Amino acid sequence: MPDGWDDNELLAALGEAVKARRTVLEWFVETGKNAYAWHNIDAELAQLTYDSDSDADRGAAAAVRSESASIRALTFTSARLSIELEVASDSLVGQIIPPQAGTLEVHTTGGVTSSPVDEIGSFAVTPIPASPFRLRCRTEAGTDVLTRWITL
Amino acid sequence: MRDDPTVVALVNRAARGDPAGWNEIVERYAPLVWAICTRFQLSNHDREDVGQNVWLLLVEQLGKLREPAALPGWLATTTHRECLRVVTAARKSERLGTGLDDAPQFVDNTMIDEEILMAERNAALRTALAELPPRGRQLLAMLISDPPCSYAEISTTLQIPVGSIGPLRARYLERLRKSSALAGLGDPDVHWAKDEKHA
Repeated sequence: MPDGWDDNELLAALGEAVKARRTVLEWFVETGKNAYAWHNIDAELAQLTYDSDSDADRGAAAAVRSESASIRALTFTSARLSIELEVASDSLVGQIIPPQAGTLEVHTTGGVTSSPVDEIGSFAVTPIPASPFRLRCRTEAGTDVLTRWITL
Repeated sequence: MRDDPTVVALVNRAARGDPAGWNEIVERYAPLVWAICTRFQLSNHDREDVGQNVWLLLVEQLGKLREPAALPGWLATTTHRECLRVVTAARKSERLGTGLDDAPQFVDNTMIDEEILMAERNAALRTALAELPPRGRQLLAMLISDPPCSYAEISTTLQIPVGSIGPLRARYLERLRKSSALAGLGDPDVHWAKDEKHA
């Protein structure tokens, strides 16, 4: 520890340290602890590779954003599967590529729901899940893909 | 301090599947994540969003961190990036007023370094405090409480004569100084954020 500290300085530093921990609300710490449930999930991770919101930032498309009717579109990509997602007014509509049948799970902090993916790879989730959520897609062929957490 | 063995051990335990190791990491570094959110003036809702993402990203990275000792740096940078994401999204949707205009708008490495140093120092001090015998912990806790307890209060609560408080205070602080938890804090490269006296 810093050699120059006398008792008063050490005590003041200790006070700061205890206060820094006390300031943190307990639910915040719990959220962190709960995240461990995702340790060693045996699914391939799909990265966000396209987001219409951030795309709109870049140059000419910016004007489009002001139209309230514009639909947010997201694409998650993994080595074996992509998930395209559109955020409609009251539901999520999606498509997996390459098209194939399977099951789509929506994971929120409150639990898991699942919806079927039809043979042409489309699915719908109603209502729009509470953020943050993540999608896990298991195809009939055995591919298992998990997106990162999504906040709309 | 960069090779803090405590951090390395915790990361290894968590990566091997020990939830207690993970919980200790969260206990130790939640204040770091929280403090950065505070710098960005985030609401509780946004803090939850940032916190979720940071810890979930870490869970995914556990076995892959090339240098487990670099965990605090990884956490600070990731939190910073997540805060920027939230603030940018909020600005865009104009869901928040002008209050956020003061919030940082880019990755500020000096700020990150400061937060890491403070977090490491605070974590080490809390660990050292927790290692003291209960009586020492109680006494120091009363001495640093805000507002501070008077010697008369301490004397009544801990049932020790007022005249013994000073010597006990000195004794427990000396024990704290010798704690192995604080051993890494002597690094001459480290410039402390505020209390340090520059010779």
